[in-house]
Amino acid sequence: MTTAGIDIGSRTIALLAWDGQRALDATVVDTGPDPLATCRGLLRGRSFERVVATGYGRHLIAERGLADAVITEIKAHALGARQLSPDVRTVLDIGGQDSKVIQVRADGAPLDFEMNDRCAAGTGRFLESMARTLGLAVEAFGGHALEAEGEAVTLSSMCTVFAESEVVSLIGRGEDSRRVALGIHQAIVTRISAMVRRVGLREPFFFAGGVARNPCVCRLLADRLGLIPWVPPEPQTVGALGAALWAAMQAGAAPSGSDGFAKMP
Amino acid sequence: MNTPFEPLIDDEYNDSPGKRTLDVILRKRRSGRRAVGYYCAYAPSELIRAMDAIPVSLCAYSESTIAAAEQVLPANLCPLIKSSYGFITTDTCPFFALSDAVIAETTCDGKKKMFELISHIKPMHVMDLPQLPDEPEAEPAWAGMIRKLKGFLERTFATTISDARIEAEIRVTNRKNHLMGRIFAYAARQPSVISWSELYDVISIADAYDPIELEELIEELVAKLERRVASGLGLGAPGAPRVLVGGCPVGGDSTKVLRILEQAGGVVVALDACSGMKRFSMAIEEGTADPFEALARAYLTIPCSCMSPNTRRLEHLDRMIERYRPDVIVDVVLQACHAYNIESSRIRERAQKQHGLPFLKIETDYATADVERIRTRVEALFESR
Repeated sequence: MTTAGIDIGSRTIALLAWDGQRALDATVVDTGPDPLATCRGLLRGRSFERVVATGYGRHLIAERGLADAVITEIKAHALGARQLSPDVRTVLDIGGQDSKVIQVRADGAPLDFEMNDRCAAGTGRFLESMARTLGLAVEAFGGHALEAEGEAVTLSSMCTVFAESEVVSLIGRGEDSRRVALGIHQAIVTRISAMVRRVGLREPFFFAGGVARNPCVCRLLADRLGLIPWVPPEPQTVGALGAALWAAMQAGAAPSGSDGFAKMP
Repeated sequence: MNTPFEPLIDDEYNDSPGKRTLDVILRKRRSGRRAVGYYCAYAPSELIRAMDAIPVSLCAYSESTIAAAEQVLPANLCPLIKSSYGFITTDTCPFFALSDAVIAETTCDGKKKMFELISHIKPMHVMDLPQLPDEPEAEPAWAGMIRKLKGFLERTFATTISDARIEAEIRVTNRKNHLMGRIFAYAARQPSVISWSELYDVISIADAYDPIELEELIEELVAKLERRVASGLGLGAPGAPRVLVGGCPVGGDSTKVLRILEQAGGVVVALDACSGMKRFSMAIEEGTADPFEALARAYLTIPCSCMSPNTRRLEHLDRMIERYRPDVIVDVVLQACHAYNIESSRIRERAQKQHGLPFLKIETDYATADVERIRTRVEALFESR
């Protein structure tokens, strides 16, 4: 039996197929201006016993009949993280438009969570915007910052719009671009760390979302929190994995063992 | 909401409960009664009623008046204050229009300064609310303010208010609160048989009705609610999460939070804010030597976050949890309400550590922009049970 999870995020949509034991394949594409059409494209020609949608577009997809059920991205990330790291207690997800911290109970159910989805600060959007200002590809941004020699150039603005003009003036003043990049990374990690501490940090500490692929964010998070985050090989498909797992559980092919979600309808 | 029941108050006002209250007040105004507007639960309505006037709760819950308010007030201010002010500058609050005077209190900085801006429109009396309720000076100070209010009402309306009338109205408040408690008991049932909007319907009429009218209404509603109980039906699907909603006042456009809770499958069983059940939980001592001191003692027990320390709110929450048996606690914080926002961490701690209940703080305003963001949090809250 094959189920699928589809995670409709602000920047990317991830589709993951699950055969009851392992992921068969996973696809990540840009969301584009019409997420419904993007989802239709991803699902075209494929058939699944059950599809579960998550992410901000979950209700739209389900209402249009492309998914059988919905779960929140909170639950999806908790489930997905637990599959990849069975003892996980803290999940951090930094996506394109939001970031969230989830405290996971010993039995795997989310216990408490906090989300930042009101403003771009503390999300991938912030890094993307700053990388563009420095003329870098977002994929190269973390590596560039890690090459900085000496102290980071401290950024005083956290607002994405203000930070952008601050970066422009720092460059104009002749500051080294790598040290500015390091300062930008420090700014976002300071903000994220405060959110992690508010919810409570416990080991193992799991880090998902597109920003988890940034080596500088990982390094600074470890420095600041005193705990090295574990990043899965495909950090952008954790939510889709959780949704596919939930689809399998609902279809009666849940992985064995005690599960915090088993009693959910 | 999807309710298996026929309407609780079944009249021509089913779709506009605000108009029901308005018409009751207008009817009484036509028979010569005065009306005194108020914004907050600290306003001692006993004094208003003691001179045979009607206490009137003023408009504060609409996004529609905020743009007008922001021509003067800063945008980064609590929506309740902005909306209240906008209603007055645009002259769109019928309750304000029919009020002969307005009572205000110094509960928070925003309200205090906003009241200055509207004080010239109607006779207005601002009461200086002591905010360290455990200090021995608080009670005599507040009793003094209530005496001053009496002076204001007597001067404004050229009347006299006797201690005996105040004492009689203390008994009326206790009676009304008891009657309201009988209705709230149906929300405490498992399953609840009264929805949050029906609770608001009864709450909104309670002030305008004289005790005999209220008694008649409550008897009629209790009979209906008993039939609901006998039918075996209840609100929500079996096992639906019961929700206690507390924090800042919720009404009008911010009831979006209550709707989202319902749409996600929850049943709101307790409305803990001042806009809901909180002000009916007060008991005023009867037959004392000094009714002003009795009033001061009672009103200072209202657990508003403007009080410091506000340990009474934690104790009140314990009692509410015991009575209404919620499965989750939701704390509504209006944007820029620092007092409730800061206090939220203590409510979280109490809910999670002492009661083992999932907790969610929702920081919001009257706009609809954050509806989907709130929905995600609410759905995740229910998933985490």
